[in-house]
Amino acid sequence: MVNNNNGSRRSNGSRTNSALGVNRRSFLRATGAGAVGTALAGCLGGGNGNGNGGGGVPDTVTIGALGPADSPMGDSILKSAELAVSEINDDGGIAGADVEVSTKDTKDQPGTTREVYQELTTGENVDATVGIFGSESLLSIMGNIAQQSTVHLTAGAATPEAPALVEENYDRNKYWFRVGPINSVFLGESQVQFAADRFEEMGWEKIAFLAEDYKWTEPITNDIQSQLEEEAGVEVTEVRRVAEGTEDFTPVYDQLESDEVDGAYTALAHTGTTALVQWAQQQRPFGFGGIHVPTQLPSFYEATQGAAISTFSQTTATANSEVTEKTVPYADAYQEEYDSLPVYTGYSAYDAVYMIKEAIEATESVNSDDLVSELEGMSYTGTGGNIEFFGPDGRFPHDVRYGADYAQGVYFQWQADESGEGHQRVLWPDDLEEAEYQSPPWA
Amino acid sequence: MVSAITIATNVLMLGALYSLVAIGFTLIFGVGGVLNLSHGAIITVGAYSAYAVDAATGSIVLGAIAAAVISGAFSLALYKGLISKVRHNPVTVLILTLVVAIVVEQLMLVIFGGEELLVPQLLDGSITVLSDSIQLNRILVFVLSWVLIGGLFYFVNRTRTGKAILATSMSDKGAALVGIDSEQVYSYTWVLAGALAGLAGLFLASFQTANPLMGRNPLLLSFSIVVLGGLGSIRGSVIGAYLISFLDQMTIQFLSERLAGVSALVVLVLVLLIRPKGLFGRELVEE
Repeated sequence: MVNNNNGSRRSNGSRTNSALGVNRRSFLRATGAGAVGTALAGCLGGGNGNGNGGGGVPDTVTIGALGPADSPMGDSILKSAELAVSEINDDGGIAGADVEVSTKDTKDQPGTTREVYQELTTGENVDATVGIFGSESLLSIMGNIAQQSTVHLTAGAATPEAPALVEENYDRNKYWFRVGPINSVFLGESQVQFAADRFEEMGWEKIAFLAEDYKWTEPITNDIQSQLEEEAGVEVTEVRRVAEGTEDFTPVYDQLESDEVDGAYTALAHTGTTALVQWAQQQRPFGFGGIHVPTQLPSFYEATQGAAISTFSQTTATANSEVTEKTVPYADAYQEEYDSLPVYTGYSAYDAVYMIKEAIEATESVNSDDLVSELEGMSYTGTGGNIEFFGPDGRFPHDVRYGADYAQGVYFQWQADESGEGHQRVLWPDDLEEAEYQSPPWA
Repeated sequence: MVSAITIATNVLMLGALYSLVAIGFTLIFGVGGVLNLSHGAIITVGAYSAYAVDAATGSIVLGAIAAAVISGAFSLALYKGLISKVRHNPVTVLILTLVVAIVVEQLMLVIFGGEELLVPQLLDGSITVLSDSIQLNRILVFVLSWVLIGGLFYFVNRTRTGKAILATSMSDKGAALVGIDSEQVYSYTWVLAGALAGLAGLFLASFQTANPLMGRNPLLLSFSIVVLGGLGSIRGSVIGAYLISFLDQMTIQFLSERLAGVSALVVLVLVLLIRPKGLFGRELVEE
C-alpha cells in the first residue's frame, strides 16, 4: 500500500525540499509569491501563477500527483505517475531537466483534496498536476486550478461538469484537461453502444439499470432508459439510483428477480463491492455488469474468492489488451515495479505525465499558457488510446475525445480457466475481442 | 411484486441478528448502568477477526470461534482497562466508549484498508420454498442466533451465575448483601455481550461484506430497539428487534430502500416522547 505518512511522499528526488520540510517562513513567502503571482496574472489576463516564470525550462521540472492513497484507484494514479517520471528520468529527463514527482493523498475527500492541491501549487510550486479520482474532489479544486493557473490533467474523475466550466469561462478554466476516463456522458453512450452490439448474443432482452447515487452517474441515468430501449431494443424494467451507504442489496435483487430480468446493467464505482458480492452469494438468476469499478481491479477476482465470476465492466484498458502498442508494455513495467497490475486510473495518469513531457519539450517552456496551447493541439498515442482533447469550442472543451479513433475503452468479463483462476477477457470492441460473454455458472 | 415469503425471511433473519446485537447492549446497560457506544465497534472486531482467521486457516468455523473469543476478550479488556474505573460517571463513559469506537474504526482502516472485505458464508447454497429460493446461510444465521438467544435465556434464568447477573441488574447493593461479587458479574456481562456482538459481526459480514464502519448502523438500530423494548430488558430487546426489523423491511419494500434505518429512528423519537420506559421497562425490578 502507498506510504501514507503525512499524506506525502517523493521519489526520484534529486532535491529534498519535501512538503514536510517547508518551514513557516518559506511557506508564507511561497504563498505570498503565489498570491502576488495570481494577482498579476489577473491583471495581465493570464500567465503562470506557480512562480516558475514566463518561459524556459528550469533545472528540475516538478509534477504533482493527487489521489486517494488507500484506494486502488488512487494508488494506481500515484504509482503510475512515479513510474512515468522514473522512466523519463532514465531517458534523459524532460528537455534535459530532471523530473520530480510529489504525490499527495486526497483521502477521497473534497476538503483534503483542496488542502493538498494548495500544498502542491503554493508550497511546492509544481509545474503541473495529474490525477484526482473522485468527481466531487475534482470539482472542489476547479476554482483553485483556475486561481493557480497551473495545468492539471485529470485521471479518474468522469463528471462532465468540469468541461462545462471551461466552456463557461475559458480564460479562467482553460488550465484543466482530462486524459481519462471518457466523461460520463460518453460512458452512457458507450453503455448504449455495448448494449446494441452485444446484448442480443448475451441473451439480455430485459434488464434493470442500477446506478449509484453519485454525481458521475447523473448524466448516464438521465436518459439511459429511452436510449437503451430505442437504440438497443431492450426492455428496461427500471432505472434505480442506489443510495450511498446501501449495505443490503437483498430487497433490490428481490425486486429484480421478481421482474425476471436477464441482467442488472450497472454504473457503480464507490459502492460496487457489496452489490456484487451479495449478487454472487445469493446466486441471483440474472447477469451483472456494465460499469463496475471494483471489478476492474486486476486483483478483484482473487480478493472476492471468485465472486466476480462472469461480471463485466467497461474500463480504459486491461493489462493484456493491445489498445495501443504502449498498453501492454506499461502494464508489464508496472507489474515489475510494484508486483501488481494497474487499474484504469493508472493508464490515464501515466499518459498524462508523458503528455506534460511532450508539451514542455515542444514549447521549451513550463509556462502554463504555452502548455495549454500545445496540449489543445496535441495528438498523443498513449496506453489508453489516441488521446486528443476537444478544442475551446468543442462539445466538451478540454475533455478527452471518445470514439474508435480516439479513446474508446474496452468491455471485459471475468472468466475462469481450467485451473479456476480468473482472467479479464475482452468482450468489446470487435478488434480486441478475446472471448464471448458467459452467463453466471448458476444462472 | 416481491413475494411475502422473501419479506418474511428477511424480517425473521434480521430480527434474530438485531436481537443478538441489542441483547448485549441492553445487558451491559441493565447490569452495569453503562451506555456502551463502542458496542458497534465490537461487531466490527468480530467480523474482521473472522475474516483474518479464515484468510489464515481457510476455516470459517475457526473464524467464528475467533469472532466470539477475540470480541469477548476485547470487550473484557475494554471494561477492565477503562470503563470499570469510571463506571459511575456516565459522561466520561459516553466519551470513552465513543473514542474507543472511533479508534477501532481507524485501526481497521489502517490494518485492513477501506475496501469491502468478503467473509465467506457459513453455508453455501440455497433451498426453494414455495418457488422462492432462500439462502441456506440466512437460515443458518437465523437458527444460530436463536440458539444463542435461547442459551442466554437459559443461562440468565437457570444458572447460578446467570441469576447473579439478574440480581445485580435489579440492585447491586442487594446483590452485594447476599454475597454476589458484583465486579465479577460485570466482567461476565461484558464478555457475554462482546462475544454475542462479535458473532453478530461475523453473521452480518457473511451476507453483506466487512468494512471498518460496519458497526455504526447496528449501534443506531440497537439504540432504537433497546429503547423500544425497555432499557435493560432482554425480552424487550428481542421483541423490539423484531418490531424494528419488520418496520424496516416494510419501509424498504413499500417505500424506498433509501429509507433503510429511518423507521428505527422515528420509533426511537416516538417512544422517547410517548413511553420513555419502553414496552418492558423496569420489568426486572417488578418481577
